[in-house]
Amino acid sequence: MAEQNQPEVISTETSAAETPARPKKKALGIIVRYGANLFLPLACTFGGYVVLHGDSSPGGGFQGGVLIASAVLLVFLGYGSQKLSTTFKTSFLHSSETVAELMYIAIGLIGVIVGLDFAWNFVIDTFHIETTILMNNAVGYHVMAGIGCLLIMMLGMLSTSESDEEEEDQQ
Amino acid sequence: MENLPILAIMTLFMGAFLNSLLGRRSRKVGNTVVFIAMALALGMMLALIRPVFFEGRTICYWMGGWAPDAGWAYGIGLEVDALSLFFGLIVTIAVMVSGVYSFTYMARDDSQVNFYTLFLMLSGAVLGLVLSGDLFNVYVMVEIMTFSAVALTAFRNDYDGALEGAFKYLVVGSIGSTSLLVGTILVYANLHTLNMAQIAQLAPSHMNATMVTAFAFLFVGFATKAFLFPFQPLAADAHAVAPASISLMISGVLTKCGVYGIIRLTYDLFQNISESTVSYLVTGFGMVTMFICVTMAFNQHNFKRLLAFHSISQVGYVITAVGLGTPLGLSAGLYHAINHTLFKGLLFLVAGAVQHETGSLDLDDLGGLSKNMPRTTALFLIGAASISGLPPFNGFASKWMIYQALFEKAGSTGNFFYILACVVALLTSVLTLASFIKVTQSVFFGQRRAKYADVKECPAAMRLPMWILAIFCVVLGLFPEQFGNWFLRPAAGAALNAEAYAAQMLGGSTAAAGAAEYTLIGAWQPIVWLLLLVLVCCAMTIVAVSGRRSEPEPLAEPDVEDEQVLPENAKYEPFFSGEESHYSQVGGSDLFWGFKENLKKYFSFWHDWHSGIVNDYALYGVLCLAAVLCYCAVFL
Repeated sequence: MAEQNQPEVISTETSAAETPARPKKKALGIIVRYGANLFLPLACTFGGYVVLHGDSSPGGGFQGGVLIASAVLLVFLGYGSQKLSTTFKTSFLHSSETVAELMYIAIGLIGVIVGLDFAWNFVIDTFHIETTILMNNAVGYHVMAGIGCLLIMMLGMLSTSESDEEEEDQQ
Repeated sequence: MENLPILAIMTLFMGAFLNSLLGRRSRKVGNTVVFIAMALALGMMLALIRPVFFEGRTICYWMGGWAPDAGWAYGIGLEVDALSLFFGLIVTIAVMVSGVYSFTYMARDDSQVNFYTLFLMLSGAVLGLVLSGDLFNVYVMVEIMTFSAVALTAFRNDYDGALEGAFKYLVVGSIGSTSLLVGTILVYANLHTLNMAQIAQLAPSHMNATMVTAFAFLFVGFATKAFLFPFQPLAADAHAVAPASISLMISGVLTKCGVYGIIRLTYDLFQNISESTVSYLVTGFGMVTMFICVTMAFNQHNFKRLLAFHSISQVGYVITAVGLGTPLGLSAGLYHAINHTLFKGLLFLVAGAVQHETGSLDLDDLGGLSKNMPRTTALFLIGAASISGLPPFNGFASKWMIYQALFEKAGSTGNFFYILACVVALLTSVLTLASFIKVTQSVFFGQRRAKYADVKECPAAMRLPMWILAIFCVVLGLFPEQFGNWFLRPAAGAALNAEAYAAQMLGGSTAAAGAAEYTLIGAWQPIVWLLLLVLVCCAMTIVAVSGRRSEPEPLAEPDVEDEQVLPENAKYEPFFSGEESHYSQVGGSDLFWGFKENLKKYFSFWHDWHSGIVNDYALYGVLCLAAVLCYCAVFL
């Protein structure tokens, strides 16, 4: 409450026309921002690691995808919702999600096309690639895009409801 | 051919994702993708008819080629026997009809991309459920199915109560899903396998307290998905607000998944339907469901809510017949299951057409639409005659088989319970007819309000799917013998022969399941009945055309002052005074006023029982689970 009351006092002192143009939540805190800067590449790298090693270590596509998607949350925490909407393209993430789903099915269908069963496990020895790894990567891609989309939508709702509240407070 | 089942499932899912990718820009491209996906899935299911039904083969499929090793099934499999394919056909036909109808029906809505994506995911999940040979995959498919159905129920979230209906469905549906999961876990813990064929092999010899508990949980889980007795308020709330094509899916396809699950569970997995206690349980559930739902339907004032209660009532018929455990009972249940999808789908689509053109579903408000929508009225009459069990439509043929199955069972066991079930079934049929007379009078006949004077016929693109369903309704009623020989006997035979179900999947033998044998009592000639119906209709038309007719004046909007002057029950006077002293329009909902007045206590009890509060419904669900657990613990 104290935080919300303070701007009101300021707004009464300055002219009323200037208050809507005032940038919201300017002071996010340098610690949070630097923390986000520090953890963002770490989260992405570790997420990629978990996805790629899904077949041989704990974790896998889902867990790794969620880790990468946490980048969305870190950007929001460090830079606020305006930066979020300029950094990430929701429509691109959305299409990525469906592309990942199609990739998953297509990898499964390779078996059928070659004349074997659905989701047949191919092993290409020289590259150490199996169907499971490829499917795992598709899942990682899908979860990354999907959870990222979800987070952006949820955070978008959060920021609109906050701005509504602020407008109500100002009135 | 071995790949067709998995390809059919994957086609639907792929259609969903492609639609989401391509349909965002242009709706035409999206609709084409959706149509192709549905048509391919239907075609693949049709292509399986010949090997599975006529040659008696069972298609076993192991994902990734993980065939069973040393008698243990590790992999995830699909097993398509005649029973699975029977339900697979129901699903794909209903999906096709519903999707084609949606193209026109949903044309005015926004964010259709999401609608069709969810729709195809629902379809794929349901198809995956009926074709699956793995208990855990059944659970996964049930989850996908429930959540996409919940989202689709709330799709038109500007409707009053759409979100509320979806929320109730979500909460109580989750009780059912959780119950299924608990049952699956208990089975896995006890038998160390999730493959349904292997469960079928091991379960009868490993029955202990855990397995009995698992059976109770699984039974209640599937009963929730079929909206049996304590769960029927959900269906009513969901149907009333869902788009009509989704109502078709919920009533025609989702409830069938519950029916399929109960058949698989009692006939194949646990094979305990021959025990009389299990038979009492299943038939009892069906009996209570069909009677309570039909009486609830009697009281409804919303077109689709009424249809929803009827839908569950008809599912009650199916479950009653399935619970008998005889070849005739199971065949009758399967027959009624497919008929229910056809006629109830038709009726829901008609309700959707009425809503599309008038914007209303209120039975007290609509009226006299037969003049504006003659073709829709004809379709409605076919559907209403089918569900009420009038010969020669399909509803009669299957209900006739159900009565015979009940008679046979009552005769062979001499048990009063089955006689009671037969009486309840007959009574339900009569009440169904009565309430459809009410609907016909309320919506299509009677007097038309002035505001509906320029309502138009619904577009031909919406009538086409309805005609397909109507033609199926007539054809299945006219040729019950052939349909029985080609489809019902193999499907029932596959369910009854659990050993073949287990052996074929595990590679023990390739012996076909064989067809179920049953004989029907008496003889009746559907074609003769059709001729009679046509003759009577012609005679009625001649009389109606040649006779004098006076155009009734359009019904005036109710005048408030007159209402106050008239004595309280003035509009019911035609029931008491033989001669009518003054003109009084009897509304459709008042047709059976005398009946309802006498049973006021009963009706008001059930009316209050359907409180509309989600806590109550969840409580009913948990109580039902507790009751079934106690019953199974005591008697099994």
